Amino acid sequence: MDKDVTAAVTMMQREMRVRDGAVAVGLGENPVERGRYSISSDEFLMHLSGGTRMYYRKGEGVTIDRMPGEDPRDIDLFLNGSVYAAAACINGLYPMHASAVAVNGHVHAFTGPSGAGKSTLIAELGRRGFPMFCDDTMLIDMSRPDQLICLPGHKRLKLTPDALAMTGATAQEQVASMIDKRFAEPAAGVHASPLPLAGLMFLEEGDPARIEPMPGGERILRLQDDHYTTEFFEFVHRPNRAERFRQLARLAQGISISRFVRPRDSRRFADDAAIVAEHLQSASGNLP
Amino acid sequence: MTIRWTKRPDRYIETTIDDETVLMDLDSGNFFSLTDTAAALWRLIDGARDGDAIIAAASAEYNCEAAAIAGDVRAFLDQMAEAGFIAGA
Repeated sequence: MDKDVTAAVTMMQREMRVRDGAVAVGLGENPVERGRYSISSDEFLMHLSGGTRMYYRKGEGVTIDRMPGEDPRDIDLFLNGSVYAAAACINGLYPMHASAVAVNGHVHAFTGPSGAGKSTLIAELGRRGFPMFCDDTMLIDMSRPDQLICLPGHKRLKLTPDALAMTGATAQEQVASMIDKRFAEPAAGVHASPLPLAGLMFLEEGDPARIEPMPGGERILRLQDDHYTTEFFEFVHRPNRAERFRQLARLAQGISISRFVRPRDSRRFADDAAIVAEHLQSASGNLP
Repeated sequence: MTIRWTKRPDRYIETTIDDETVLMDLDSGNFFSLTDTAAALWRLIDGARDGDAIIAAASAEYNCEAAAIAGDVRAFLDQMAEAGFIAGA
């Protein structure tokens, strides 16, 4: 693999080094209250509802000030979630709220709000032989002019009890104390090196089940409305309208974007997921 | 008197995705999507053509009578002018 492509992965590993220590109560003068965070161009501070503070500073890694009694699973969840996404944004990577599979050396991603079925679809595609690339957060390195390079996911697959039942995945331990999801091992394994992004599919509800290409203007509007994930990016980089538009246009032009519409019906789930599996097979056949 | 239509790139930013031209108003952040003939008309606005020349070029491109499309073309130009994306001089 070419060194430039893996540079972002090495950088994130370095930036996510964790040590325990004292953490200030806020960035600047204002303390960060429990359940809140504060972010700047090179720092991120998160105060968990249980009292633990997690602090990231560019070039210095992550410091965790643990509150006795806080569930270590909750700390891990936020370390891999918000802190990781903030560190990625501070270092110029673009986060997308998406789960993805690897198909013939390319990434095909699925996006939609929480509960849209991203992880469930990834689990089912795993059963059909597609290795998982990432779950929930996808980081994109947009620094190369020729390609959008995705970083392999650092999070384990998380499934609700319903999703475990539908996909027949084997449940592992519970994700965190207050979250009714369990970790699961993807059936076709995990792809662990960076790959170029080839396709993005928006998950929508409707009938009949179908895959449709998405028109250009809608692509940009929908990419702009990426739930919470790009919020950090906007706080850190504060792009003006034109810069943000150019960035969204680059995403919208560079990859195939479509919608996967299907009824949310567990009895039809496997048949509907087969439509996506066929689409991925034929799309990968058309790749250069 | 003829009015030559000129684009005002200080007011918008544009991109082309497949056959669609997407414009964003830099003041409001609103999007405009131009497809098919609208995208073709947008390309014909070059600072040199007036309304009649744009109608003539479009009628040649689409192989149709100028009179049949004149109303639609003028309505499009008015809409783009109202949005502030083009100006007549």
